[in-house]
Amino acid sequence: MTDTETETADAQAESAIAEASAVVDDVIDNVEGVIVGHHEEIEHIMTALLGRGHVLLEDVPGVGKTMLARSVARSFDGSFKRVQFTPDLLPSDVTGVNIYNQQTESFEFREGPIFANVVLGDEINRAPPKTQSALLEAMEETQATVDGETYDLPQPFTVIATQNTVEGDRAYDLPMAEVDRFMKKLHLGYPDEREETEMLGRVVGDHPIEDLSAVATLADLRAARAATAEVTVSEPVRTYATRLANDTREQAQLGVSPRGTIALLQAAQARAVLAGRSYVVPDDVQAEARVVLTHRVRTATDRPASAVVEDALATVDIE
Amino acid sequence: MTPDAAGRTGGSRGRIDDTFARLFSRVGVDMSLTRALALGGLVLVLVSVLSVLHYIVLVSQEPDTFFLLVAASLVAATVTARFLRVTVALSIAGVAFAVGLFFYLGALSSDPQVGALLASNAELLSGKSILEIEAATLWALSVTPAPVFVLWYLGLRGWYGTATLVGAGLLAYFVLTGDAGLPLTLLGVVGGAAAVGFGDLDRREHSQGALEAVAVVLAVMVVTPLVVSVVPGSIGLPFGFGGADQSTGDTTLEASLLSSDSEFELQGSIELSPKVRYTVTSTEPRYWRVDSYNRYTGDGWVRSGESVPESEMGLPNPPGPTREVRQTFQVESATAVMPAAWRPVAVSGAGDPQVSTEFGLAPSGTLSDGSSYQVTSAVPEASPRDLATAGSRDPQRVTERYTQVPASTPDRVAARAESITDPAENRYEAASRVEQWLESNKEYSLAVDRPEGDVADAFIFEMDRGYCTYYATAMAVMLRTQDVPARVTVGYTTGEQVDDDRYVVRGYDSHAWVEVYFPDVGWMRFDPTPASPRQTAQQARLDEARATGEPGVDTDETDPAQQTPTPTETTATPGEPTTVPPSGPTQTTTDPYENVSEPTSLPEDDDGGSPLPDLPPPDQLALAAILFVGTVAGLRRSGVSERVYRWAWLRYQPQTPPPTDVERTFRRLMYVLQRRSRPRRSGETVRAYLAAIDAGEEARELAAIREQSRYGDGIGQEQAARARELLRRVRSREAV
Repeated sequence: MTDTETETADAQAESAIAEASAVVDDVIDNVEGVIVGHHEEIEHIMTALLGRGHVLLEDVPGVGKTMLARSVARSFDGSFKRVQFTPDLLPSDVTGVNIYNQQTESFEFREGPIFANVVLGDEINRAPPKTQSALLEAMEETQATVDGETYDLPQPFTVIATQNTVEGDRAYDLPMAEVDRFMKKLHLGYPDEREETEMLGRVVGDHPIEDLSAVATLADLRAARAATAEVTVSEPVRTYATRLANDTREQAQLGVSPRGTIALLQAAQARAVLAGRSYVVPDDVQAEARVVLTHRVRTATDRPASAVVEDALATVDIE
Repeated sequence: MTPDAAGRTGGSRGRIDDTFARLFSRVGVDMSLTRALALGGLVLVLVSVLSVLHYIVLVSQEPDTFFLLVAASLVAATVTARFLRVTVALSIAGVAFAVGLFFYLGALSSDPQVGALLASNAELLSGKSILEIEAATLWALSVTPAPVFVLWYLGLRGWYGTATLVGAGLLAYFVLTGDAGLPLTLLGVVGGAAAVGFGDLDRREHSQGALEAVAVVLAVMVVTPLVVSVVPGSIGLPFGFGGADQSTGDTTLEASLLSSDSEFELQGSIELSPKVRYTVTSTEPRYWRVDSYNRYTGDGWVRSGESVPESEMGLPNPPGPTREVRQTFQVESATAVMPAAWRPVAVSGAGDPQVSTEFGLAPSGTLSDGSSYQVTSAVPEASPRDLATAGSRDPQRVTERYTQVPASTPDRVAARAESITDPAENRYEAASRVEQWLESNKEYSLAVDRPEGDVADAFIFEMDRGYCTYYATAMAVMLRTQDVPARVTVGYTTGEQVDDDRYVVRGYDSHAWVEVYFPDVGWMRFDPTPASPRQTAQQARLDEARATGEPGVDTDETDPAQQTPTPTETTATPGEPTTVPPSGPTQTTTDPYENVSEPTSLPEDDDGGSPLPDLPPPDQLALAAILFVGTVAGLRRSGVSERVYRWAWLRYQPQTPPPTDVERTFRRLMYVLQRRSRPRRSGETVRAYLAAIDAGEEARELAAIREQSRYGDGIGQEQAARARELLRRVRSREAV
């Protein structure tokens, strides 16, 4: 490649990143028209979206988990579906079923709610493991298998799942393997007084979410995802991510998996795009590390997983 | 292993110390660094003391016994330190010391009184060299073992302070006797300080800083005498910086020879004094002898033994036939010596003079200007034939006393002496050949640098010129190596003849020559110094003094207009030519000794051509090493070396590819910033760090360039240059 071509390629990458950055900014502005506060969490959801990841929202009921997910989904012109997970929910309720069509005298496949660009899985920990595994396959493979037939899911495909931390006795804890497939796990937390007051002002009368319109196309999202994948991850940054993961492995019973490290770097790439930068810096990694790594760490003692991650961030040297 | 071993365990030692202890424990020795250093200090004290003793012993050729005694004492101390109690050990050492002294006293020829012993000790302490006492070697050998044993025993027991005290006591004794030179003394003192300092650290917990501090103090101790020596009138340098220059200038030949002292060292360049000393009325022109020296030390001569008053000892006659010579010495300037023709048998007019072991006379006080004394001498009468047939059956006392040379005398001196005297059939011929060889192969000059090492060796092999003491020393030593009893004698030559029997003796007539012993005849004079160049130098000095009007160079009888040559002889024996053959290249081939005078004919001469410079003596090397270590420790302690390195590192930037370049620039930025506020913590990103310490625009821009270089798609030359420029600005603002 000649210098001119390199420069041209560089310029194209720069403009692609600028465009992706603009799309993200638009979406965030749109969502913040509905959601009060939670700016960081909105950014996290957007980076997950760019980094081809799925998000698990965990918190007490009523803090706006579903609202947040819906707002993000509705900002695109793609399809959005919502599944309320219950103890009696069957896998076919998620993926779809083959129904016998008497007119054509054949079985035809009726798509389940998983066939959408953005799938909101509400309270997934209330469904039995078999149903959860249907979601699991869809998240990992971007495909669904029904009666031995495999169906491709639409692109892009993102799952935003919520999980209640109350009513633990009536829930099926997500297996570690499944939790690992979520790029990040977020906690929303209660809004502060000012934010809650403002939120109340907004929802009295017509709920603003009904007026929310799409500000980006699926094509925009696909382009943004492609640009994100092109963001440079230099050797020192890769080393840093590896060392962070290693550090958690040394500290905890179950540390961050290689899948976690990949997720961390993908999230960091998206974070760089948010800043309009074509390369990842350690600050990007640090900004994503807590939400990407914490839910992948399990300690044998009372020590919280977050402490392990904080410790790793504080001790691993950055070169 | 030692009583204080328990006290030394534990504690936060310095890093070096731990490494050292581990190293030693690997070979199974319980040894801390401080203990090793303290013992090293004691070794220095030992070396310093033993060097003096060794020197004394070396002069008399008993080094093997000496080393054996030292080694045995050290081994005994090492072994007994493990089990013997201190009181027992000290008692044993005390007994050993007493036995040694008893042995020494028993071996003395005379039976000295306790009072005389104390008196001689007092004399020693006021600057008389130990070499001057009788049987100095035996003395050294008998006092050596006990202190060595005690010092090393106490050191191993961890009593560093007491051990140092023992060494210091002995060293102080040698300092007072003048036998320990400045470098040796300094070495001993620094060693003692090291033993006490490190020993103290060894007993308690310490940091590496304390170790370094002691090293610095030791270096200061080495440096201080150097600095203080700059002040005029101080003792002098412990290092040989000044060399022979120290003795140039106001030293006169006379002062160097005739200081009425019982030892003289050979000097560098000296001057001649034209002042009139004596007017002698004598029935015969003779050399006016003052005294002789019997013990050669390698760099000078010593007269051993006590002087006694003439009234107690008397003046015996020489063995063979003699003729009487009567002299009257009129003292023209105050003096403490009494010249006389050899061999004085009666003296009057000077009270009760002291008579030395070599039958030199000295007034009990000083002789004032204008006083006079009379001496009757019995001059041995012997023809060359008599001397040639005198044989070589010397009394044992003479052999022991006058054929001694230090063990350190190089073998080539004896080899050269043998080749010169080889065809000689008797002692007289041998002495004459050596005398002639020196006269014809060396030039006379008063301007010489005092050589290092053995003076006789240096004069024979390395120097081309010298004056009377060099000639006399070389001849006496060469003869001694051939077992011919010889001694160096100092005094005055005949002087200027002003009347039939009157001679004016000036300061520059002072002279050194050789006396050789012949059985049944006694001591005969041989003067190896070429006479004519010496007289030329004297006459020139006299003319100069007269021209400048110096007082005291003439008497009523001397006539400035009349240039009377001073009559001198080459040898004392009749029939010898009084003229001296010209020396140097004009030498004719008829000289039977020419072949030996050619340096090329003797391979041992070649070592003079070694390209390596001579190392300074070991004591000076040790001091220099202490100085070096202390300086390094001092620099480390003060942080100077680190600061100098950082200063240069911040400024010097080699040209490298931009990424390397920027990375280096960035590290320097980090250094500058960390000095201003705090270092970047681990886990802290550069951005977070810069925000936290509120870094300026330039720093942030530099960091951004580096970020792009390191994590992004690389940078170009301009950005690298920009980074350097930014660093320069930050640096100048932070004034690093």
